[in-house]
Amino acid sequence: MDENINYKENWTLIKRVFPILDDDCPLHQLEDRLFLKEEFYEAVQFIKKMNLVHQIQKFIIRKIEKRLRDIVAPEFWSYFSNNEQDNKGFQQFYNAVECLYDSYKQLEHSMRKLDIFRQATELEELVNSEKCLNKALKLIFKATLLSQLNLDYQTTVMSFYESALRMEDLDEGYNGQCIICSQESLHCNCMNLFKETNRKLGEMTLLEPLVGQTLTNLIYGYIHSHIQKICKDSFDSSFVSTLEKWLQSVVLNWLRDIYCFDSSTSISDSMGMFEKKLVNFLYNSYTKTRIDQLFNIIIEYPESLPALEDLRLCLPRTDLKPMLTKKLQKAMETRLLHPGVSTPDVLTAYIAAIRSLRVLDPTGLLLEVVTQPVHQYLRSREDTVRCVVSSLTEEGPNDLAEELVRGEAVQVDENTPVDEDTENWETWVPDPIDAVPSTQGKSSVSRRTSDIISMLVNVYGSKELFVNEYRTLLADRLLTQYLCDTEKEIRYLELLKLRFGDSQLHYCEVMLKDIADSKRINQHIKQDPEYTESDIPISAMIVSAQFWPPFKEEKLELHAKLQSQIASYVKGFETLKGSRTLCWKNHLGFVDIELEMADRTLNLSVSPVHATIIMYFQDKSTWELEELSKVMQCPPTVLRRKIGFWQSHGIIVETGQDVFCIQEDLENKDNNLQEDLFVEDYESESAMASAQDQREEELQTFWSYIVGMLMNLDTLPLERIHQMLKMFAFQGPTIECNLQELKVFLDRKVREHHLIYSNGYYKLPK
Amino acid sequence: MALNVNPLFEQQTSTRKQNDEAKTSSNDNHAVTKRLHKELMTLMMSQETNVSAFPEGENLFKWIGTILGPKDSAYDSLKFKLSLQFPNSYPYTAPIVKFITPCFHPNVDTSGNICLDILKDKWSALYDVRTILLSVQSLLSEPNIDSPLNALAAEKWQKPDEYKIHVIETHKEA
Repeated sequence: MDENINYKENWTLIKRVFPILDDDCPLHQLEDRLFLKEEFYEAVQFIKKMNLVHQIQKFIIRKIEKRLRDIVAPEFWSYFSNNEQDNKGFQQFYNAVECLYDSYKQLEHSMRKLDIFRQATELEELVNSEKCLNKALKLIFKATLLSQLNLDYQTTVMSFYESALRMEDLDEGYNGQCIICSQESLHCNCMNLFKETNRKLGEMTLLEPLVGQTLTNLIYGYIHSHIQKICKDSFDSSFVSTLEKWLQSVVLNWLRDIYCFDSSTSISDSMGMFEKKLVNFLYNSYTKTRIDQLFNIIIEYPESLPALEDLRLCLPRTDLKPMLTKKLQKAMETRLLHPGVSTPDVLTAYIAAIRSLRVLDPTGLLLEVVTQPVHQYLRSREDTVRCVVSSLTEEGPNDLAEELVRGEAVQVDENTPVDEDTENWETWVPDPIDAVPSTQGKSSVSRRTSDIISMLVNVYGSKELFVNEYRTLLADRLLTQYLCDTEKEIRYLELLKLRFGDSQLHYCEVMLKDIADSKRINQHIKQDPEYTESDIPISAMIVSAQFWPPFKEEKLELHAKLQSQIASYVKGFETLKGSRTLCWKNHLGFVDIELEMADRTLNLSVSPVHATIIMYFQDKSTWELEELSKVMQCPPTVLRRKIGFWQSHGIIVETGQDVFCIQEDLENKDNNLQEDLFVEDYESESAMASAQDQREEELQTFWSYIVGMLMNLDTLPLERIHQMLKMFAFQGPTIECNLQELKVFLDRKVREHHLIYSNGYYKLPK
Repeated sequence: MALNVNPLFEQQTSTRKQNDEAKTSSNDNHAVTKRLHKELMTLMMSQETNVSAFPEGENLFKWIGTILGPKDSAYDSLKFKLSLQFPNSYPYTAPIVKFITPCFHPNVDTSGNICLDILKDKWSALYDVRTILLSVQSLLSEPNIDSPLNALAAEKWQKPDEYKIHVIETHKEA
């Protein structure tokens, strides 16, 4: 071995050949250090001779790493730390990348030299288990950079890409100006800078690691806000295809522009992945938006049909059905099912929901689940049936009336499984997987076919209730309108018959026949020579007590003049009909009167009570309340209210405490002030007994049975009484009484000492 | 009839016949049930306080009746329970009526059987539960001494004081 080796000289040579080893050499000059080919080989020779090949390579790599760690990475990240200026993100990131790229180029140069060195020395040892040095460098680069990750860098990256994306979306820039540099777009270089940045990042394979995540977030956010923007409050057009087109033309194109520089993977691979991800996100996001709006969409049905169609299209591609169910239920609860919403509104919304959800899910399963709370809620509202029935028969454009005209028989779920249509077995489809196993034997067929009216009837589960409500309503209408256009009512009745069956509506038929008969009988009696018509002509509405719902009872003694006229009418009727007579409801009906006062004439159509009052005042101009109440057999409080009607017309005035007097002329204007006080809405009163009164009567029937039961069987528990009643007493059309109600009733009887309760048994008192 | 008739077919016809019979009997049954329901309803609505009756359990054909002893008789203000058993042929056949509460009476035996013409040969379909009970009630104060079931009672009938003691004693046995 030659002892005279000049180590120092050789080291300087090596340092000149590999400037990276020279700590004094600035980073950006690495490439510029020149040396001769001979020098390189001399250095190689020396290294070989000294057997330092491995050490040198390790040393070089170490030095590169050190440079990166100490200089390059901190410098790069320092660009991101002070991003106080808002719109500078673009420039900042550009500068950062440019700087990083320069350093990369320098280091790459050193790497290349190392590569030549490896070839010259036939070094086989791997660097970071990579054969290719360039790849190794990239790996070191990536690792070092990410190890010093700056927390704020995402905001900068975000703003960089966001600006670019907005440029892309707006095509021609913002008002002909570039958003980034506010220059005329023609002179703007921003797009080129943007491309250059991406190219550099791509070359360093830093595109995906550094900006991938941020980019994805950005695009998600962008898609989301785009969807929000275009489908806010507009349900009347379909957006799915528009959105898809937008995604392809704007977002994916832009992404392609970025990723075409990515050298790590092929463009088609990365784009394919991105496309799948983004399309999925688009659907998800759009569906979510629509789900949030679903309640409004339903309310605006059928204008919102396109939105529904969109949703139907999107639902199978996402897994958001459970969310839809939950959200819609919630929305229904918070927006519909509270006391502030009137029953007709609830019904309208319910009908809209039925129709629109049927579009969404033809199997009806969704509908069933979502409307369950609505069902329950409607059941708790007292006026539901009334609202349904009245809107069924109402005139004018009305969902339910239209539905009625379409005419199909009502299907009430009575736990009878409908026979599956064996004819069409080939088209049979199983229930959706999320269907609740039909415990009530309710088949999917019944779900699919039941129409809106059936569903409304099902709210209560019985046709009877509906039919009864209709009967009451019809009775009310017939009695308050008198002249009654039976043609129309008959038409409705026929329509209802199609739905509910003849037998259910038999009573109503009789009622309508009564009206027609009354007209005929009136004519007959008036033609009867024995019937003399005095100055008060009357015509009667003759109704069959058996078939009409019970009337509201009110006591009233009519004026003698009227009484005599009525008596002669009865006589006429008795001769006509033989062995039948009439039982008058004095308080029902109306009277046309003409009042001739000193200074005016009034033509009015009033109730019999009002007419009777004024007739008494005709006989005597001053009455005490007490006195009049006795004559008319009407309680003073009620009577005072009725007199109020005349007071409001300025015909009667209260001259003293409980003393009323007729007012012939209107000179005394002061009394008119009372007008506001007594505007009585007398026409809105129903002629029918209230549901409560009817119930009371039914309970009275039960009571007779209960007494009979206990008299003979001594003591019985509540359940037995209920069971017995069910077996022997519940026979009428409506009569029914649940255990709870019965208990309340019996407890009341116990309180009234009509019953004794001990040890869970009821018995009669001795 | 041909010899080689499908035995299965024959069987079917015979079962059908049976079914028909069952149906007619159930139809009859339905008519009886209907009548009994109606009688119950009129009875319940009649506001009658002296006599009363109600089905004993789920069976509409078995009733329990209650009658009060007629005023001014030995049975005054005593309460008697009766059982009424309606046959399927009701109202064309009389129901079987028996006292449940022990009753000291010439025409009532110790096991409660009653000897009353309208429940036997004089029965008519026009009678109903209410009239039966009223008849039994009036039988209490007007016994038929000539054909007694209870000889002791018939004998004592002439001595009202002793008779009454017997009546009350017997009633207490319940």
